[in-house]
Amino acid sequence: MINQAVYNFGVWLDSMESSTMLHESFYMYNWIESTHVLFLMVSLGMLFLIDLRMLGYAFPNVPASKVAEKLSVPMLFGFAVMIITGLLLFYAIPVRSGQSLWFRIKVVLLIAAAVNAFLFHRRMNQSISSWDKDSKAPMRLRIGAMSSIIFWVLIVICGRLIAYDWFDCAHGQSGVIGALAGCVEGQAQF
Amino acid sequence: MSDNNKAGMDDLQMSALAASATILVFAAIYWVVQIQGVREMLDMAYG
Amino acid sequence: MSTSSLGSYYRTMITVAVVLLAMAFLFSSLRIDTWVALKPFFEWMGTTWFGVIGTTWGAAFAVVEAFHLLAMALMGGAIIVSDGRLLGIGFSEMDEREVLDKSHKIFSWGLAVVLLTGVFMACGVAMKIYYLEVYWYKMLALLVGILFAYFVKKPLLKKDLQDISPLVRRAVALSSLVVWFSVAGAGRWIGFSG
Repeated sequence: MINQAVYNFGVWLDSMESSTMLHESFYMYNWIESTHVLFLMVSLGMLFLIDLRMLGYAFPNVPASKVAEKLSVPMLFGFAVMIITGLLLFYAIPVRSGQSLWFRIKVVLLIAAAVNAFLFHRRMNQSISSWDKDSKAPMRLRIGAMSSIIFWVLIVICGRLIAYDWFDCAHGQSGVIGALAGCVEGQAQF
Repeated sequence: MSDNNKAGMDDLQMSALAASATILVFAAIYWVVQIQGVREMLDMAYG
Repeated sequence: MSTSSLGSYYRTMITVAVVLLAMAFLFSSLRIDTWVALKPFFEWMGTTWFGVIGTTWGAAFAVVEAFHLLAMALMGGAIIVSDGRLLGIGFSEMDEREVLDKSHKIFSWGLAVVLLTGVFMACGVAMKIYYLEVYWYKMLALLVGILFAYFVKKPLLKKDLQDISPLVRRAVALSSLVVWFSVAGAGRWIGFSG
């Protein structure tokens, strides 16, 4: 049922003229994708530095709260750009993206990373006064930082693998793969 | 000794300035040419 | 008393000489001759273990490329923080010496991974990139970026930061940002070419 809903939503988006224009544009799709990839340096670059600070590998002599405070502004700006460009990329090719196994795994990982970030932030704010000037954060927060790095490594890998069509519905997937990818029986080719 | 240090610092700064100026000029030329090329391609594609 | 036979501006003279030599190379037939001479090397790259794996298993190539992007993200982060600090845009309450020194360390680690993964990827698409003009622009920008980072920016920033003129700080920070953005941009464009 969920797969049918996602497919129907993708078909509806695909029927929009602007979706087709974006997909078939000479440069626009490439520019949006390039912006999405290049802004990794802003969003993930800042995030990795914050995580590495918590692990004691970056700026150990700068208070952790200062690192988190100063780097989080460009990080959030970077993530905002990536969300916007990501949505546009989805909008350009909605059916294939919605039924891409790697895209779906990426979305799950993004949610997991967001939850991890929320929990990390909350724990950090509750305890930071006691360890702010230490070179490493307490163990629980280090685990959170390490999890964040692992999530984002997997997210980037999944993002890169979206371009590969091994598990595309167009190739007639069945069984578990077909269900996970959201293939709908008798669906039209896109 | 401090004169030597001062000359050393000026040399470092001057060489940094020379290198930076070169990079910025060449980058400006490169990106202007690239953007020009893109504009021509878009003109050809969309009229 | 001068410590160098070239006088007290030896570094500047060497920099200018390198720039002039590079321009002489780029705007002469030496450039094409070198490119032709490199063809056998690129053909060999495709036959290496890296090249065979890269062409045979798309997944391996994609995963290595993902790590190339992750290392690039780390490098980019380090550059944004250090050059932002030099430009006085943000990060102002973080100790400058600490920020610049540690950023350079992180940048170096990121660069090492970028180069390693880049070599693997180049082997996988050797002949494609050999004929791609944008690839050579990227390599030129990469070489300039590396030379600039280690032979201009790093020696300059080793000195007392108070003694560096604001103009030089801004010029160095801006060029560093521009050159690495050019490397990243050209790299992205390789994916859309050929």
